[in-house]
Amino acid sequence: MIMELMIALTVGAAMFGTGLYGALSQTNLVMIIMGVELVLAAALVNLVAFWRYLHPEEPAAQMFVLIIMAVMAVEMTVGFGIAIARFRSRGSVEMEEASELKG
Amino acid sequence: MTVQLIFLAFFGAAAVWFGIVVFRTHSMVRSALALLFSQTAVGLMFLVMQAEFLGVLQIMMMATEMSVMAIFMVMFMMDPGGMGAMEMTHQKRLSLWSGGVGLVAAVAVIWLADWGPTVPDIPGAAEQAADLGRELLGRSMFIFQSAGLTILTAMVAATMVAIAPIEESSK
Amino acid sequence: MSFLALTLLAPLLSGLAILVLRRASEVLALMGAALGLIGAIGLVSAASGSPVQAVLPGLPTMPLLLIATPLAAVLSLVVATVAGFVLTYAAGYMAKDPEKARFFGTMLLFVAAMQALVLAGDWVMLLAAWEMIGFASYLLIGFWHGRAGVASAATRAFLYTRTADLGLYLGAFLLIGTAGTSEISATLATTGTPALIAGLLLLVAAMGKSAQVPLQNWLQRAMAGPTPVSALLHSATLVAAGAILLIRVTPMLPDGALFVVGIVGGVTTVVTGLIALAERDLKRLLAASTSSQYGLMLVAIGAGAPVAALLHLIAHAAIKSSLFLGAGVFQHDRESTELQTLAGAGRARPGIFAGFALSALALAGIPPLAAFFSKDAILAAAMESPAAPWLLPFALAGSVLTGAYMGRALKVLWAGEAGPARASIPLMGLGMGVLVVLSTVLGFGFGTLEEMLGVEIEKPSWIVPVMGLAVGLGGLALGWIFAPVRLLGPLSGPAQNGFAVAGGMDGLVLRPAMAVAAACERLEKRLYNAVLALGRANLSLGHFARRADGEGIDAAIFGFVRRTIATGARARRLQSGFIHRELALTAIGIALIVAVLLATLIFS
Repeated sequence: MIMELMIALTVGAAMFGTGLYGALSQTNLVMIIMGVELVLAAALVNLVAFWRYLHPEEPAAQMFVLIIMAVMAVEMTVGFGIAIARFRSRGSVEMEEASELKG
Repeated sequence: MTVQLIFLAFFGAAAVWFGIVVFRTHSMVRSALALLFSQTAVGLMFLVMQAEFLGVLQIMMMATEMSVMAIFMVMFMMDPGGMGAMEMTHQKRLSLWSGGVGLVAAVAVIWLADWGPTVPDIPGAAEQAADLGRELLGRSMFIFQSAGLTILTAMVAATMVAIAPIEESSK
Repeated sequence: MSFLALTLLAPLLSGLAILVLRRASEVLALMGAALGLIGAIGLVSAASGSPVQAVLPGLPTMPLLLIATPLAAVLSLVVATVAGFVLTYAAGYMAKDPEKARFFGTMLLFVAAMQALVLAGDWVMLLAAWEMIGFASYLLIGFWHGRAGVASAATRAFLYTRTADLGLYLGAFLLIGTAGTSEISATLATTGTPALIAGLLLLVAAMGKSAQVPLQNWLQRAMAGPTPVSALLHSATLVAAGAILLIRVTPMLPDGALFVVGIVGGVTTVVTGLIALAERDLKRLLAASTSSQYGLMLVAIGAGAPVAALLHLIAHAAIKSSLFLGAGVFQHDRESTELQTLAGAGRARPGIFAGFALSALALAGIPPLAAFFSKDAILAAAMESPAAPWLLPFALAGSVLTGAYMGRALKVLWAGEAGPARASIPLMGLGMGVLVVLSTVLGFGFGTLEEMLGVEIEKPSWIVPVMGLAVGLGGLALGWIFAPVRLLGPLSGPAQNGFAVAGGMDGLVLRPAMAVAAACERLEKRLYNAVLALGRANLSLGHFARRADGEGIDAAIFGFVRRTIATGARARRLQSGFIHRELALTAIGIALIVAVLLATLIFS
């Protein structure tokens, strides 16, 4: 039983839970994006921990981390672009009012 | 090992704590900054776990991103300073339960699974970077290329979405 | 062969021509009758050698046959002669009638049908001609159908004879069935029970057509038609059809049938003689007299001497038609045929009255006039027949009554105011005159007639002519001197009513028939309602099926549809459009998938 691994994984789990809570409970789009960032960060933590404590000889794990970071960046970019467009057309980015796709 | 353990625990707690703060504070700027600190803590955890390249990358990227996010926060939020006491959440119970269930499930898996023996030998930082580079330009070239393409597409898409439409009537 | 065609076709074609052209009807009629007469004379001369035959296509196994045996040729000549002179008379009688084209056309069609009947060689032809003369009689009796009572008289005549015709149909079918062929001469070889039954059935038909008791009433009512019709149809030809049928069929009739024939004839003679005596209308008197004379002919057939009946038929044809023609002249004068109105009409027209008187005396049996010989032949036959105790009294009583009513008629016509002198009508006088002459001289021709027919009538013993003369003169005297009420005594009341027994035909036949008809109608109404109810039940079944389909099946299907739509509507609520909901669902979905994956991993 590798204690460091356990702690790191537990941290990742906690961050995942927090991020999930935030993504589901926030009304503002930007806050939702922040929640998703937290979830992705938790995934990163898990990955690095697995790499460090179980397979340090495998650089593909680090590759995975890079890709996730790229995904985080891209997601934020597109998300903020949409937020701008929405703000311009509606005047706010509150998700409570965004029910156009209803039905 | 114990040093690593202590630092890991400390930075981990910091990351979790700041993550919670993100959603508990009323001020938007503070929430953005809390996220920044949380991500930085994660980067530091990487450094503790001897993944130097990744740690540095994380800190640099997240710093920039969170700053940008803070700016967007101020642009788009109703109450950026958080002076008003408005409730900004919805479906709180569902979210709490989801988060809780997710946490408990993950923890259960973590603590009940057998992860195997430790591998003590870690390649050095330079060696890690070189291996990563070779991996990047070797086996994972295709992944990297498509990632690059995806980033380009996203940039173009975001720009296009964000550009204001030309008003026809004001000619 | 050509004479045969001429006899039949001349009246037929001229009748059709008159009905189509509707002009120059007298000329065409007389032409047709004259040609028919020439044809008949030719037939008689041709048939005296061997019978003239013609075969026409008919039913598949029963071709139509026309045979001119000597008997048929003689009868055909009688028909043609009487028809010719009655039509001459009618040219004068109907001169002022606006519808005389219809009259002459129908008369000629009747003559053609009667010739076909007389010359028929097979049962099918005979049946067809029988029906045709009945129909023509109906048309002619009802000629003045605008007058009251005429239409019902014509219908009554038609129905009486038509009902009796059932006997002819059944008898003919029976004979055709037993003999296997429809040729009359072949079927006359039948013997035994079929012959008896067929004979009785044919007697029924003859009773209808020849106005024998109990079917005699129609003839008296038929007097509502024009007088030429009465002269031709109801004295000489149509009513003769019954007697002609029986004369032809006599070789086949067994003794029992002959006896019944004789009894029927005898009863008719007496009953209708009494009716004639009590009558108050001249034409009806003459009609009852016709029934009575045909009764005598049936007596002769029943006595087994059909030749005597034939001779009497020929004599009677000439006599009765001339009597009717005379009555028609008097009717023209006084506009009525009631004896009271006609009193003394004879004085105003001595010529016509002389002819009338001659014919009346001939009918009563005074020698050397025609009916003397034939009546003697009948009395002789009655005396020598096995049923003499029955037949002879009937024949004698009939002869007495003949004299009585003729005497009465003569008295009424002579005794009374003469009235103004009238102009003579030449055509009517000519027609009647020739027939009167015939009625006078025919007696002398009977000898050659018997030779032609190949039968020999025995000279009767001296008592027969004495008896005949006695009853004839006695009857005449009685009729001249005494009023009929005194003669008949207690019978005069029933006689005037036509001896209606037990309510007569009205009570016995008419009312039960109408009751049956009403019952049938009620039954039919009930059947109709039953069918309607069946239809309604079907309809309600259909309605029920439709309702079941609509409410049951359709409801189930549409209910299913509605429930599906409702389920969809409820499922739609998942699509709230809110991102947080979508996210929540995504999280839950992912959790489920991971759980399933882990479960398969753990438990596999």
